[in-house]
Amino acid sequence: MIHTDMVCPFCGCLCDDIVVETEGNAVVRVDNACTLGTHKLMNASMDRLKGPIMRDGAGWRDATYDEAIEYAAGVLLDADRPLLYGWSSTQGEAQGLGVSMAELLGGVIDSTTSVCHGPSILAIQEVGHPGCTLGQVKNRADLIIYWGCNPTEAHPRHMSRYTTYADGFFLQNSFRERKLIVVDVRKTETASIADEFVQITPGGDYAVFSALRAIVRGRGDVVPPTVAGVTKEQLEKIAEMCKSAKFGAFFFGVGLTMAPGRYKNIRNAIELVDELNRYTKFTLTPLRGHYNVYGSNEVFTWMTGYPYAVDFSRQIAFYNPGETTAVDILARKECDACLIVASDPGAHFPRKCLEHLTSIPTVLIDPARTVTTPLCRCQIPTAVTGIDASGTAYRMDGVPIHVKTFLDLGYPTDTEVIGRIFEKVQEVRHP
Amino acid sequence: MKFLFNTGRTAAQGIGLDRKAGAEYARATSRCMMNPVDMMDLDVEAGDHLQVRGPAGEVVLSVVPAEGTPRGMVFVPLGPYANHILGGETHGTGMPDFKTMTVEIEPTLREVPTVADLMDEIGGAAYSPEETS
Repeated sequence: MIHTDMVCPFCGCLCDDIVVETEGNAVVRVDNACTLGTHKLMNASMDRLKGPIMRDGAGWRDATYDEAIEYAAGVLLDADRPLLYGWSSTQGEAQGLGVSMAELLGGVIDSTTSVCHGPSILAIQEVGHPGCTLGQVKNRADLIIYWGCNPTEAHPRHMSRYTTYADGFFLQNSFRERKLIVVDVRKTETASIADEFVQITPGGDYAVFSALRAIVRGRGDVVPPTVAGVTKEQLEKIAEMCKSAKFGAFFFGVGLTMAPGRYKNIRNAIELVDELNRYTKFTLTPLRGHYNVYGSNEVFTWMTGYPYAVDFSRQIAFYNPGETTAVDILARKECDACLIVASDPGAHFPRKCLEHLTSIPTVLIDPARTVTTPLCRCQIPTAVTGIDASGTAYRMDGVPIHVKTFLDLGYPTDTEVIGRIFEKVQEVRHP
Repeated sequence: MKFLFNTGRTAAQGIGLDRKAGAEYARATSRCMMNPVDMMDLDVEAGDHLQVRGPAGEVVLSVVPAEGTPRGMVFVPLGPYANHILGGETHGTGMPDFKTMTVEIEPTLREVPTVADLMDEIGGAAYSPEETS
């Protein structure tokens, strides 16, 4: 059976032109997706856990959904400071239930945002977000900047769908008219196809932004001959390319958010874009990783006023990244139970955090065996949104997209499992 | 020798994300990309093993020459190997030092551990599907 116009549930591009061919419950062919999406979709029914598993001494045993859900609810109800973490590779509907449950429990809810574009959000809260849709970029942008990111490897279709290789309605010959600037600390695959590659010394982003802002403002005289390894001549050339563009689109990745300066780097980038808007149209978009990490920020914000790291222990929503973020809470050994949904801190968190995860009752809701599996006490497998579950996800430009299903493997969705845990929590807290 | 430890996404790491129990994911995330001149200084060749010591401990990785990586820096795909030596400090931002950790690197004859070995060391209990079926 051929399923057309499917949405790829891998990265924040949420490509919605995917063709999937299935035979029974096996995916036999995937068209249009990148190598990352193709692997995820081709392996749709492989390596899934058959059912819930629970720790049994040093080993594991099978459990029923009823038993696992009962255990998860009990663990959360018994905790003084439960942490509900993850939420970036699941449907918006499940994220909403997660927030309601965190509020009722007086716990902390955080998404993977805190270890990817959390600093971008902190900067946006300070100076705003000069954003636009990816459709605007595709049809109008004649200058693209990729700063601290490598879309060739992390978002492989970004350039062919929205930037360098995409046809644009307002461009005669898109490929020749668009200029590409890549700024990074190392020469990546993306850098090798750039019209202008700027290699800066690690930690030099803030200084380079400041120098560019000075040049754009007409105060190039204060800029020294080199800034963080970049010559003044190259900075002037880039500034001129930006000012003379009809529509510039600035994309950045975790190379900026994780670098020294963190959110101040992004603030300076936004203020550079602000400066450039005195001359031309210029926009800025974070390259989001998980396919619905943007959705977690949206849902959390609608419901609590804050985009991630929301702490309900004071009976009202409280937010203070660095204190209420998952890595800090785990590193301080502060939480006494953890529910992990649709993410893999085992692979992506510092060791100190993982050591604490093993010492508390940790429940994992994830379709497959992951690096977090050995660290938890109970794992509940669910359907994968975009494969055997449908739902809402937000693209990296903030556009909500209905993610469709093409398989039925019989697993409950994240929304169903979290809903059932929530019901049990409500029975005790709101009888 | 001291190096700046930079982590990030690679296509091979991304491909392995949904099958993290597989050997391909372990191979993709235990690579240490290094400038060939630095490799000469350390007297190692492609595929040799390195002991990398960071704030939280040490891990063994295999070295891969990468011209685009500047001298004094190594690039390791994000994953359990890179994070095994990463400290929990976030400087009040929630974001650990994924790209700014200083590490000590020296050649070693020790084997690259499996992901299960790393999790065992932390206190986890490996799960294999046969165990419960």
